[in-house]
Amino acid sequence: MIDRLRKIYPSLLLYGEDIDTLDSDYKWFSDEENTRVLGIHESELAPKDIALLSAFLLPHNAKFPLPTKEEKQWQQAIRSAETPPGSENRISAPFRFTYFSFNKNQITPVFFKAALQELFEKQILILWDSETEGILVEKKEAADDGVSYGQIVDLLMSDLYVKIRFFSGPFRQSTEAVHAYYRTVKNTAVKVFAHSDKAAMTYADAVPHLMVAAASKELRQEIGQTVLQEYISDRETLEMIEVLVRCNLNISESAKELHLHRNSLQYRLDRFSEKTGIDIRQFHQAMAVYLALLAKRQGGQQHPPGNLHEDGG
Amino acid sequence: MAGLSLKNVKKVYENDVVSVQDFNLEVRDKEFLVLVGPSGCGKSTTLRMIAGLEDITEGDLYIGDKRVNDIAPKDRDIAMVFQNYALYPHMNVYDNMAFSLKLRKMKKQEIKTRVDRAAGILGLENYLSRKPKALSGGQRQRVALGRAIVRDAEVFLMDEPLSNLDAKLRVQMRAEIQKLHQRLQTTTVYVTHDQTEAMTMATRLVVMKDGLIQQVGSPKEVYEKPNNVFVGGFIGSPPMNFFLGHLQGEHFIVGDEKIRVPEGKLKTLRAQDYDGKDVILGIRPEDIHDEPLFIDSSADTKIRATVDVAELMGAEIILYSSIGGQNFIARVDARYGTEAGQPIDLAFDLSKAHFFDAASELRIH
Repeated sequence: MIDRLRKIYPSLLLYGEDIDTLDSDYKWFSDEENTRVLGIHESELAPKDIALLSAFLLPHNAKFPLPTKEEKQWQQAIRSAETPPGSENRISAPFRFTYFSFNKNQITPVFFKAALQELFEKQILILWDSETEGILVEKKEAADDGVSYGQIVDLLMSDLYVKIRFFSGPFRQSTEAVHAYYRTVKNTAVKVFAHSDKAAMTYADAVPHLMVAAASKELRQEIGQTVLQEYISDRETLEMIEVLVRCNLNISESAKELHLHRNSLQYRLDRFSEKTGIDIRQFHQAMAVYLALLAKRQGGQQHPPGNLHEDGG
Repeated sequence: MAGLSLKNVKKVYENDVVSVQDFNLEVRDKEFLVLVGPSGCGKSTTLRMIAGLEDITEGDLYIGDKRVNDIAPKDRDIAMVFQNYALYPHMNVYDNMAFSLKLRKMKKQEIKTRVDRAAGILGLENYLSRKPKALSGGQRQRVALGRAIVRDAEVFLMDEPLSNLDAKLRVQMRAEIQKLHQRLQTTTVYVTHDQTEAMTMATRLVVMKDGLIQQVGSPKEVYEKPNNVFVGGFIGSPPMNFFLGHLQGEHFIVGDEKIRVPEGKLKTLRAQDYDGKDVILGIRPEDIHDEPLFIDSSADTKIRATVDVAELMGAEIILYSSIGGQNFIARVDARYGTEAGQPIDLAFDLSKAHFFDAASELRIH
């Protein structure tokens, strides 16, 4: 078939044999199994040719990397409740989905996957939603490479000049209801990135943001004002609270991060306690203050109606 | 090489939070400019707007004479180094440095020339085949710098690149980055919260707070002539001391102490109608003296105080004390052996002091 097509379209190239990249001046087509991917220069293709070729081959957008067999199976699993049958099924647990997104027109999916692949020892699996967002499927054994998503963000930002965000769902021990889990991870990521400027987050990081976002505007304002009182506009104190929570209420570590002497931080905490009656050194009180801080930040914002957890998972 | 120009730049996030405003700055060609300020002051946002990683809400950004607001980051001819100096764990040092060039489909020979040159500059020639886990923290950070050098960019942007290093290595890398800048002469914008890092590295400093520039100047200018109380307190360690008091005749009154104001400063204060009004006196810890000779010659700026804490630092002692209920710090010579609990005579060198408006906190000059 290839030889016959080449007689009609002399520019025909076979991916992997004649060329190693998907040139954007070519239209690309693959067979069902991606065993053969061929490209024909656009100058040789009239709309009628494209329609004809598309009848027996699958058109492929050159901006996207060619999906592997396993990626196709995961795609199928997140789009429907059914998993591929029998021995062909390469979907396995434990796994987790990590949602990612980056700005438009900054990088192509092919480029992104090539760079990300270099950070992992095993072949990575990416399920693209669009040119700027998708899901990374992580198998537990492949995830332990010593590079955190926070580091990956900085590394790719300096190499690819692109601002990337990652949101990791919890690990799953079974492949049941993959489609629901997928929607939960994606919806939560979109929601939480509207309230947090962190570039790399996990589901556990997101929970307080989600709880606060689910409260009414009035309740958020009330909690913020009641708990934080005169500190509600005190940027330094709010930062101190945030750092303390991030440092597991460890005073020495927090003082170091805040560039304060340990005693100065103790003094500030004493003052906060005297004025509000809340001791941030106690876990449950710190949690209340942290939620009040998030409530204050989201206080004036109107959230669109809708349940974040509509898909369960 | 190129300079940068930011004109009336403003950044407002989607949640209406104003991160940076009224930002006007000319970064000169080959300059090492440091943006410094506390957390949340807008310095990293400014750097990311220069990089193109954050959109500019209002205003104009020029690299050289080209307006780049709408130019994609990859086309701005910049190279970036961030706080996380992570490397690709499965690549050796050579490939780590070469990777971004390979992605840009640069020819192999050109890549080799650039990587070898960067490795030579950074003393990494013997480590090119090593994987990151076989490198020390300092070597990894040098590879991260190498990844920026190979770009041969017009401008380097560095966002807290030394924050993750321990104190000793930080000092060492500080010197290495300075040497690198002297050699490459690439225009550099460097962000840090650490005023010591800022003072020691900058050609010029930009001190920021709450999204606004507080002062731009050489480290010496900013240290010696702070625009306001914030800058005086932020730049310098230990920080500048501030006393709220009032001007009465020829004296600054704080608590029971009367400190004679030198003629020149008095003239400036009187010309602006501060006589009899509240003002803030700012004086650096090293301008408070305990040497008998200085005290004898400065009887009209002498105060009596009790030392609460005396920290021996080697050649000097840091004294913590107070007058009129206002705490201050003095940095004095260790040879006089001042100890905590002692009443002590100290004299202020008012020729080096500054007065600030009590309401606006701006320096009176």
